[in-house]
Amino acid sequence: MSSVPEIDRQAFDPVNAEGSEWQSFARVIDLWNGKLHCYVGLYLLLFIWLFAFSGLMLNHHWKFEDFWSKRKVSTTVEAFHPPPDGSDLEKAKDLMRQLHIAGEVELGEAPPAAGRLDFQVTTPRLIYALHADLVKGVVTLQRTEVNVWGIVHILHTYSGVRRDNPHLQRTWAGIRIWSFCMDALALGLIFLVLSSYIMWWGLKQHRFWGLIALFGGYLACGFFVVGLARLYP
Amino acid sequence: MQSISRQIYVWTRNLHLYFGLAISPFVLLFSVSLIFLNHTWIPLGGPDRVRQSTAVVSIPPGLEQLEGMARVEKVKEVMRQVGVTGEVSFIRMHDGALIVPVQKPGQEIILSIFPQDNTVTVARRNTGIWDGMMYLHKTPGPHLANIRGNWVYTRIWRWAADATVYLLLFISATGVYLWLVLKAERKIGLVILGAGVISFMGVVYVLCA
Repeated sequence: MSSVPEIDRQAFDPVNAEGSEWQSFARVIDLWNGKLHCYVGLYLLLFIWLFAFSGLMLNHHWKFEDFWSKRKVSTTVEAFHPPPDGSDLEKAKDLMRQLHIAGEVELGEAPPAAGRLDFQVTTPRLIYALHADLVKGVVTLQRTEVNVWGIVHILHTYSGVRRDNPHLQRTWAGIRIWSFCMDALALGLIFLVLSSYIMWWGLKQHRFWGLIALFGGYLACGFFVVGLARLYP
Repeated sequence: MQSISRQIYVWTRNLHLYFGLAISPFVLLFSVSLIFLNHTWIPLGGPDRVRQSTAVVSIPPGLEQLEGMARVEKVKEVMRQVGVTGEVSFIRMHDGALIVPVQKPGQEIILSIFPQDNTVTVARRNTGIWDGMMYLHKTPGPHLANIRGNWVYTRIWRWAADATVYLLLFISATGVYLWLVLKAERKIGLVILGAGVISFMGVVYVLCA
């Protein structure tokens, strides 16, 4: 750390700076904007790295992260007490309690055959496929475990909902927490961007070239978001 | 030595600033679309009505027999004849017709190619700006690797998305450096960084245990 220059932030403490009350208020806002930019960025650091890296993985399919061919699969047959009457989801949850498994439940889109219940339970590490005979009280349980690259891959898209299936709902507390984390990350990133605009605008000597960089960014991004559909209707 | 480290600091700060400003629209795009994807919800508007038309075309030989990218190239010949551009998502056979969804941000086109009749039906639908953002968020994505990136703008977008991620990683790393040089923020920053690491590890542990 000896080669890192130390900047003493207190030297820029706006409370001690001279000026009108309004200027002093603006400086306090500016100072806290900078502080929060730093704090939010630090808090979200690992979340940002996870989603950035897994995004690259999803787009490139590098050889080292081919987790699916390295998955471990085992199948067992287990007996269970027939679950009480209720919806398929309630029956599935009762079965999971008996088998001591937890995760996000996904029922098939088609209604199950009479006396049968087929569903899937997923976590980022484990995927269970359950085929239960409710009359005989026997379930075939296929357990698939993925490695760490699989976990990173799945976490990127692990939301429990899909646009093409509006009936899907989050059923597990774990996925609700992860969904909350994704929202928090998105809002945190939006805050980081907006607070960076305020910080940049305060640096008068960087305004011009900053404007060029920002304009270039919006031009490039806007080309994809609205330009393509208009250029190639 | 002091002046070199000072120069490193100034360069790092400037690169953090300018790269950050340049990729900020892309970061906003990914963040806003993440919220939509996480809730399968779009704030205003939505898909437009479907506009359908039929045209007679010349079907390239071998269209039905070919596979993968070679088949996509043949489909592109048909697309050129009816003035359709975009990324071919996949191709499937249904009742003697080739069904080809073609996508671009904000627009979805479904081509139904009938090789026996030399006709093609084009069903066009504007899906709106929010849907376009979600499409870009998921593009190119992990599926159908052998044919994805079959439109030049999808390949350019892949490059732009990659650049955004690499620069985001650079900005986060330089952000850590810029925090470390702020003497007054080190202690509180370390506490917040620690809280972030514990939250992240805790959530991932709960999900994977």
